Amino acid sequence: MATAVQAASNVLVSTSWVEEHLKDAKVRVVEVDVDTKAYSEGHIPGAIGWDWGKQLCDTVRRDIIPKSKFEQLMGQAGISNETTVILYGDNNNWFAAWALWQLKIYGHPDVRLMDGGRKKWLAESRELTQEAPKATPAAYRAKEPDFSIRAFLPQVQDASSKKGADLVDVRSPQEFTGEILAPPGLPETCQRGGHVPGAKNIPWAKACNEDGTFKSVEELKALYGGAGISGGKPVIAYCRIGERSSHTWFVLKYLLGFKDVRNYDGSWTEWGNLVAAPVEKP
Amino acid sequence: MRVKTEEYREKKEQLSGWPVKIVSYKLGNLYHVSIHNEEPGAWIAKGEGASLAEADGKARKEAAELLAKVKKSPPPTGCTSVPGF
Repeated sequence: MATAVQAASNVLVSTSWVEEHLKDAKVRVVEVDVDTKAYSEGHIPGAIGWDWGKQLCDTVRRDIIPKSKFEQLMGQAGISNETTVILYGDNNNWFAAWALWQLKIYGHPDVRLMDGGRKKWLAESRELTQEAPKATPAAYRAKEPDFSIRAFLPQVQDASSKKGADLVDVRSPQEFTGEILAPPGLPETCQRGGHVPGAKNIPWAKACNEDGTFKSVEELKALYGGAGISGGKPVIAYCRIGERSSHTWFVLKYLLGFKDVRNYDGSWTEWGNLVAAPVEKP
Repeated sequence: MRVKTEEYREKKEQLSGWPVKIVSYKLGNLYHVSIHNEEPGAWIAKGEGASLAEADGKARKEAAELLAKVKKSPPPTGCTSVPGF
């Protein structure tokens, strides 16, 4: 049974691969965590840290990072258009996947996730440092944003009412049913609980092994295929703010090779706050 | 200075009525404990300390306070959809 890394080495690398390439000048490792203090506790030697809440979004309106700021961010991290970017983070790469999705939107040619993320690196007792790396600024030019991998509200409304695309809600069953409005311990950020009518609930974590790595391609096919998500139709994944669904988007797009997969980053914090939007509670 | 994690452990427990995963390890001279909800697996509280007990105590206290605030809705009574847009 092929591991996910073996099946998709152009977008996924192992922790040992990263360790072997720590001094490779063509490779830049970047940590993106849910817990923005984790990087300063200790990170992979040479890794840059990005704060998703300040550096990977538009800080004025709700949106992804603007193109000009993205170019600055990449350049300041010493990343050129030719650099291989390796992303990793906590929570099995939630926000690392979010970052990867944005790098793909802006057309970065070679960006990959470290399978298992920060958790696996720590569990394997690999080296960490608190030293911030010195990056030599590089020139970076982003492409025009490719929104074929992003879903906006009208597309989700269409998918829900016309069934032209499969909707995958990757939140927990308790969020999906509306029993809770946010994951336990996190702030509630929506007015209504439930899910987009017609969505199927396949929690993101089902795609992972206990050590944080992705399941094998065969297991992933069985997981999503078993729920009727086979790639025959376009797929839109969503969660609460779009980071968990980036993880699922990565699985469907790159590990299963579905042609048309979009991440709805508006997610439940948009839909669940929308006046008069239909809400399904099974 | 480069360091490696020591004593890395994960265990599952119930805290304030919620299933959680507790991750602990030592890094340099400090113990780190983080508490994650089981669904969806998000980090919710952390503690640091010179001993595992100190770090664990801090993380549990913060997590218990946050988890105790989670409101559950009554069981769903059916679809609340408004037809069309």
